[in-house]
Amino acid sequence: MKRLHSRHWVFLGLLVVITAAMLLRVPMQLRTSPETQRMFDYLDQLPEGSVILVSFDHEASSLPEIRPIAEALLRHAFERDHKLIGMALLAEGTVIGYRLMEQVAEEYAREYGEDYVYLGFKPQFIAAILSMGESIPATFPEDYLGSPYATLPLAQKVSSYDDVAGVLSITDGSLTTHWIEYGGARYNLRVMAGVTAAMVTTYDPYVSSGQMHAMIGGLRGAAEYEQLIDVGGGGLRGMLAQSTAHLYILLLVIIGNVLYWREKKNKAGKR
Amino acid sequence: MDIGTIIAGVLTLAILTFLYRDNPIYKFAESLLIGVSIGYTLVIVWSTTLMDILFRPLLNAGQLALVVPLVLGLLMFSRFHPRTASLSRLPIAVMIGSGAGVAIPVMLEARTLRQMTATVGPLVSDGTFDFSVLVVLVGVLTTLSYFYFSREHEGFFGRVSKVGTYFLMIFFGTTFGYTVMSRMSTFIGRMEFLLTDFLHITK
Amino acid sequence: MDRKVALAICFVFGVVMFIQYFSGSSLARQVNQSILEYWQIVFAFTLVVGIVGVVRTNVQRINKRDDVFFRIVTLAGIIIMPVVALIWGIKADTPFMWMFENIQAPMQATVFALLAFFVASASFRGFRARSVQATVLLVSASIILLSRSALGGILADEIPQFAEWMRNYPSMSARRAILIGIGLGSITTSLRVILGIERTWLGGRR
Repeated sequence: MKRLHSRHWVFLGLLVVITAAMLLRVPMQLRTSPETQRMFDYLDQLPEGSVILVSFDHEASSLPEIRPIAEALLRHAFERDHKLIGMALLAEGTVIGYRLMEQVAEEYAREYGEDYVYLGFKPQFIAAILSMGESIPATFPEDYLGSPYATLPLAQKVSSYDDVAGVLSITDGSLTTHWIEYGGARYNLRVMAGVTAAMVTTYDPYVSSGQMHAMIGGLRGAAEYEQLIDVGGGGLRGMLAQSTAHLYILLLVIIGNVLYWREKKNKAGKR
Repeated sequence: MDIGTIIAGVLTLAILTFLYRDNPIYKFAESLLIGVSIGYTLVIVWSTTLMDILFRPLLNAGQLALVVPLVLGLLMFSRFHPRTASLSRLPIAVMIGSGAGVAIPVMLEARTLRQMTATVGPLVSDGTFDFSVLVVLVGVLTTLSYFYFSREHEGFFGRVSKVGTYFLMIFFGTTFGYTVMSRMSTFIGRMEFLLTDFLHITK
Repeated sequence: MDRKVALAICFVFGVVMFIQYFSGSSLARQVNQSILEYWQIVFAFTLVVGIVGVVRTNVQRINKRDDVFFRIVTLAGIIIMPVVALIWGIKADTPFMWMFENIQAPMQATVFALLAFFVASASFRGFRARSVQATVLLVSASIILLSRSALGGILADEIPQFAEWMRNYPSMSARRAILIGIGLGSITTSLRVILGIERTWLGGRR
């Protein structure tokens, strides 16, 4: 125990706080934020059968946070009978996106090729976004499974951004910026996003300027969305632990500052 | 419990041992992660890009124009030999030039003009003064002035840019708050896996 | 010589891509599509070059008997993924997918999850109200954390509302100013690159 430093105690505290909250599993009623409501309203009011491009622009590292966001949005979209075209601008998002779409589609008995397709990955996001603006079939001659684009019934109806209601970018970084700036500004593509909490403030100016139509952020955003669609998921399950962790961090900040001021006072007293 | 969950659980714990200190178990997991990630990227790039938009159209459909990007791409390998390394500048020039050319109108329109337009709104709407519009206007102007380094930050200009620093601090604080949220969410996700799928403590 | 050729190629591609942006003609669209395809293919090769570089470095280090075991593990990972993809493909329920889902994704997410602990430690040790600016930063972060926990709404309805206002107006305005600055900087840099004034990307001697 002699080798434990103060940081180890801080770590241990966090582990205990989160584990305890997860074992308790108390259901929480959340206040829906206006931004989550806006995303829900958009997907809900879109005419049935609308085609939405879903881009998995994230890495595996953020999967625990991204999965509940993506699942909630995909569930709502499939439930509303929208048609989804999946793709990825980051290599790691490729397999995750494919798997998520496949799993959620199965829940709603949606069929590959008719109700959704998965195009896979293209590198160099700016070039990929611009290239899709010119021609989606030319950018993705084949889907992720190796079927030619023209043989997929849903894909046959979509040749450029004009044929989709918008793009839903699921991201843990700044890739949505490129959808907004290259897809939106150049080809009038409507952009929506599900982003990790850390990226929320990065996109605020785009939401405010209307360049991004709607956005949900973080596990909390996912939980609010799950509440709206009335399907429980990782978001709602993690909310008590999330709340408790925030309070633990606040406590650490307070203790840290009290110690700092006490030390400062002591030093001033000695002088 | 399936073997996949056991392996995932053991490797998760191996990574978490780093919290105590760097150790061989963590180092093993880290080395494996690096290798597998690189192997994965190679597979995805090869199967969904190089085969898809280069080799198949070139070899099966006879699109000979694709020889140009193929040669440019192969020139990138010249970097491995000091005598030929300079040849890799040619494909880099294609990427840099294309990116710069398309960035100018996009940055001007989408990042600069649209954001500037959104900053200017009516201060009074329906006879009511909108304080938030004023806050945004003051925030953008003062923060921009803080980043203007062609003039000494003193006198009136210094005071204006100082106000900008407060706006920046609010932005950094807000971002920090959200970042804490994000990191906690990731850890909660891993704990959910450990407690539910791996250890079966919760359902 | 090759520096001049590279600068000329950069200039031509830059100018062509700039002009096509404003044109709706089929020729411009075709040229645009081809250049974008070139760009993607070359970029894909750069990723492969990076991977070859990692393999080379690891092999060299193994030859020097430096961290041999861990480097062999890395190389094994690099080799196994393409091999299983080659034999069984990359669709659902293949060993490739299994390895991604049970080895790569859990480990990568856990490495990222470690940051939760370091954020906690940083909050305790470094997040101090040393000046007015630091206090503003600390208070803003605390308001956000409180508002996004259940307690924020329980204490007072105004806490989440104020946090939303703070994010949507003062915080957003600073981020917007940064964005405008980056936008102007990108335009200037792009112009300098196309005109050959900015040459650092060429590397080597000037």
